[in-house]
Amino acid sequence: MKNIIKNTIAILAVAITFVSCSKTDESISGIGNLKIEFENGFAGNALALGTATLPTSNTEVLKISKAKYIISNIVLTNENGTTFTYPKSESYFIVDEENPASLLFNLTNIPAGNYTKVKFGIGVDEAQFNLGEIGQGDLWTKAQAAGMTMSASWSGGYKFLDFDGTFTSPTVTNDTSFMIYNGKSGANYNYTEVTLSLPTNALIRTTISPQIHLSADLSQIIDGTNKISLTANNMMGMGAMIMSGSNLPLITVNLANMFSVEHVHNDPN
Amino acid sequence: MKKFMLLFSILLAQIITANTVKDSIYKFTFHRMFLLDDECDACGCSANGGSMGFSSMLNNNFIGIRYVNQKYATKEGVFNNSPWTDENFNTTQIWARIPVSDKIQITALVPFHFNNRELITGKQSIQGFGDSTIMGMYSVFDIHSDSTTVGHKFQLGGGIKVPSGKYNAANNGTLNPSFQLGTGSWDYLLVSEYVIKKNQFGMNTSLSYTFKTENQQHYQFGNQFNYGSTLFYLLDLNKIKFVPQLGIAGEVYNANQQFKQEVSDTKGDIVFGKFGLEIGKNKFSLGANLMLPINQNLTSGNVEAKYRFSLNLNYQL
Repeated sequence: MKNIIKNTIAILAVAITFVSCSKTDESISGIGNLKIEFENGFAGNALALGTATLPTSNTEVLKISKAKYIISNIVLTNENGTTFTYPKSESYFIVDEENPASLLFNLTNIPAGNYTKVKFGIGVDEAQFNLGEIGQGDLWTKAQAAGMTMSASWSGGYKFLDFDGTFTSPTVTNDTSFMIYNGKSGANYNYTEVTLSLPTNALIRTTISPQIHLSADLSQIIDGTNKISLTANNMMGMGAMIMSGSNLPLITVNLANMFSVEHVHNDPN
Repeated sequence: MKKFMLLFSILLAQIITANTVKDSIYKFTFHRMFLLDDECDACGCSANGGSMGFSSMLNNNFIGIRYVNQKYATKEGVFNNSPWTDENFNTTQIWARIPVSDKIQITALVPFHFNNRELITGKQSIQGFGDSTIMGMYSVFDIHSDSTTVGHKFQLGGGIKVPSGKYNAANNGTLNPSFQLGTGSWDYLLVSEYVIKKNQFGMNTSLSYTFKTENQQHYQFGNQFNYGSTLFYLLDLNKIKFVPQLGIAGEVYNANQQFKQEVSDTKGDIVFGKFGLEIGKNKFSLGANLMLPINQNLTSGNVEAKYRFSLNLNYQL
């Protein structure tokens, strides 16, 4: 019996010796890149534009034809607590479900580090807006090209969100259009920010370009913390047009809860 | 690790308390090809509670070939309605067992994998040699039985898995991290096997633990614990022998790590029911095994094992 125990211990010891060898930590320096991927879904399912019928908890059924939003002001938090603010003028991105290239952001020149959080805005903040057309750089032309401006003049502001389609409900039985634009409305800027903790640190290195994979649950826009009834906004059967007024701050609250991190890849370049 | 140590102690305790009546007449020594079955890991050739090489006497040399087919389904995406991709892991293994002395045997295994899956973007195939394993097993005791007594056999061993299979970081993605030919790492195994026999019946219980190390791409597959128990019966018709088998086999995986960070959704566990039949004639034995999952939770439900099937042919040298 003693032999058995002796042998077991011997084998275990050998194994543990093998396993316990490990290298020392590398030094972290230089700059690297980061990719952020957005994937739009609806209540847990992948988003399909067009004919897919999507029920909400408001007893409405949606068909979505357009889903676009502006992401801005990206800030990364390092594990040591310091933050890196991505240059503001380069920090505006228009995510458009119809344009696959728009779903992947390529951020460059980021100090190497182990990043634990990502923060970004949804829309255009007050400071940026107040810079005026010239001060805003190419944002206006970019937004115009993507159909994300509220009117022909920059002072009309931006569509932070453009969410369109048709809906039915128990009282609206024919497919009826809806259009939801979030943006500055009167004195309300309706800009919001979201901070997401990463389940795995994004290890930005000269040799590693991590990819943060985010998902956006678009059902949250009208069926989140605040419930927005399209039926109640269906003016004289002409469709639900939500582009200003008291619904926008409610939608803004919802947008802040729309995003989550699925996972982070740290594959070497 | 704690779990492993606990189970190991239980097994030891079992053996210590077991009845050890000695007898030397027992004609056939059922020696399950334990090492050869269970060296497999999450990489392409997942542990395969597999077969019992019934033709091998304790001191026999033999060489064999085995084909293993494993089918998995992997979710391609993060949504509930994301599509599932079928994955086929095919392996052909050559194995051999060479006794060094009465108590010590060396076993070696060389696998060749040909794996494929149908992605949304098209079919992806990888093929090539997998990780080879070499192991030494020591017979702690081997008490034969006859018609009136119970036989016991207990073996302990350890081995090394060599990174002869290619590890490709690009296959990692969001899908099954095990769609690889090898772990790319030097891995170390500890194994134990206990066989108890009475008359025509026997039961084989095996445990193994694989310590995996970090590969050159700084990826480290999670350590793996395998366990299994198989009940077998010998039907000896002089010229030909049949050994039907019934058992369970399980695997527990720790999370994978990349750059020393845990990779989310990579740990898991699975329990299979297994059914097998071995037929032996002269120096040959032919085996077939089927493993069907009873309960599983692999990579947070993103990978689902469908079945494992194997066929083997051994020749006693």
